Amino acid sequence: MTLTERYLAATLRGIPDGQRADVERELRSSITDAVEDRVEAGEERAVAEKAVLEGLGSPTTLAASYSGRPMYLIGPDMFPAYRHILVMLVAIVVPVVAVIQTAVGIGGGGDYVDALLGGLAAALNIGVQLAFWVTVVFVVLERAEFAREARSEIAVATSRWTVDMLPATTEDRVTIGEVASEVFTTLLTIGGLFFLRDLAWTTEADGAALSVLNPDLTAFWLPALIILMAAIGGIWVVVYLVGRWTVPLVTAFAILESAFAVPVIVLALKGAIINPAFAEEIGWRPLAEGDGPAMLALAAGVLLVTAWEIISAVRRAIRSRGSVPKEVPS
Amino acid sequence: MVDEELLGTHRQELRRGTVVLACLLALRTPGYGYALLKTLDAAGIPSDANTIYPLLRRLEERGLLKSEWNTDDARPRKFYRTSAAGAELAAQLLTDMTSLAASLRALDGGTDR
Repeated sequence: MTLTERYLAATLRGIPDGQRADVERELRSSITDAVEDRVEAGEERAVAEKAVLEGLGSPTTLAASYSGRPMYLIGPDMFPAYRHILVMLVAIVVPVVAVIQTAVGIGGGGDYVDALLGGLAAALNIGVQLAFWVTVVFVVLERAEFAREARSEIAVATSRWTVDMLPATTEDRVTIGEVASEVFTTLLTIGGLFFLRDLAWTTEADGAALSVLNPDLTAFWLPALIILMAAIGGIWVVVYLVGRWTVPLVTAFAILESAFAVPVIVLALKGAIINPAFAEEIGWRPLAEGDGPAMLALAAGVLLVTAWEIISAVRRAIRSRGSVPKEVPS
Repeated sequence: MVDEELLGTHRQELRRGTVVLACLLALRTPGYGYALLKTLDAAGIPSDANTIYPLLRRLEERGLLKSEWNTDDARPRKFYRTSAAGAELAAQLLTDMTSLAASLRALDGGTDR
């Protein structure tokens, strides 16, 4: 088989059936014309053939050029939408999955390191899955015939730009009022935790004091949670001094928030927060139970609030990235 | 001394915009792929075979060129000819191109002197 035949075969593989015969005939004659021309000018046939084929370049590229098929996975028209959707999905889904998986791991009675590793593995897995499937969808959108209309709509939507879409800068300055309310909430939570620790119920029967919180909790977890809360309040103060959310601050914030939320959720689901004896005493035993309505609501509430806090901090860090904060208002 | 690579890139950009016009103008006299390459080359518009061959088919699909197989010669060749629509488009583009060149020259004179 000659080089030309091999070149033709390689090129035609990438050309739709309907055009193949005609392209083959034309390309063959074009190649022959060019080779003959060089041979007439005194070049050796083998040398001429090699030069002509190499001049035409890669058969894959040539075939793509004939069939008008893109030589990229996702083109400039689709890319902004692709990036936007991918970043949004990963930023929201990955942390939530990590927290849930870690909580489930700890709730299942495993030790902390294993549960944390399980959470990380789940986060990595879902991240890779998301990236893969979003990419697949966009690659199909980019080239499928049936997606022609969607393609042009996306292109129009992403190219239509108004000044309203400019990312905010000044309003992303973290204000004193905002920080004050966050610090106040933190202090309130700490006070609440102290209050709960000492809260006791006097039994009607023998007058003995029954603590509302599970006594096992107060030894280690309660002080730990109080320290974490104080650290979160501290981060808010630092954020105010810096003027905006930065990547290191968001990272520290996310770690502390998770360190607070995960144990609370796990303890709630294990029914280790409320003293069962106290629940018994007031006549509503499910209050203390891990699968009772109160503890399920607590776990869900903490999960949602934490996820929201982290996501909004991450979003603000992304939005104010690169912008210089205005001077701290007095 | 202008950087050769930079010059090459920008020249390519400049020519990319004119290759359709060049084909439509040249093919008012019918010609086949390889002959067109030679014609353009001789006219001072060197082009790559792998650009021109697929381009001819695309222009034909859009009705700017018409094609016909000529089997009279020893080798069958596909001849292309600029259609009426193609000629009209070429005339318009040529006017634009000429006025663009004039504008650039005027701009050049305006800053130089």
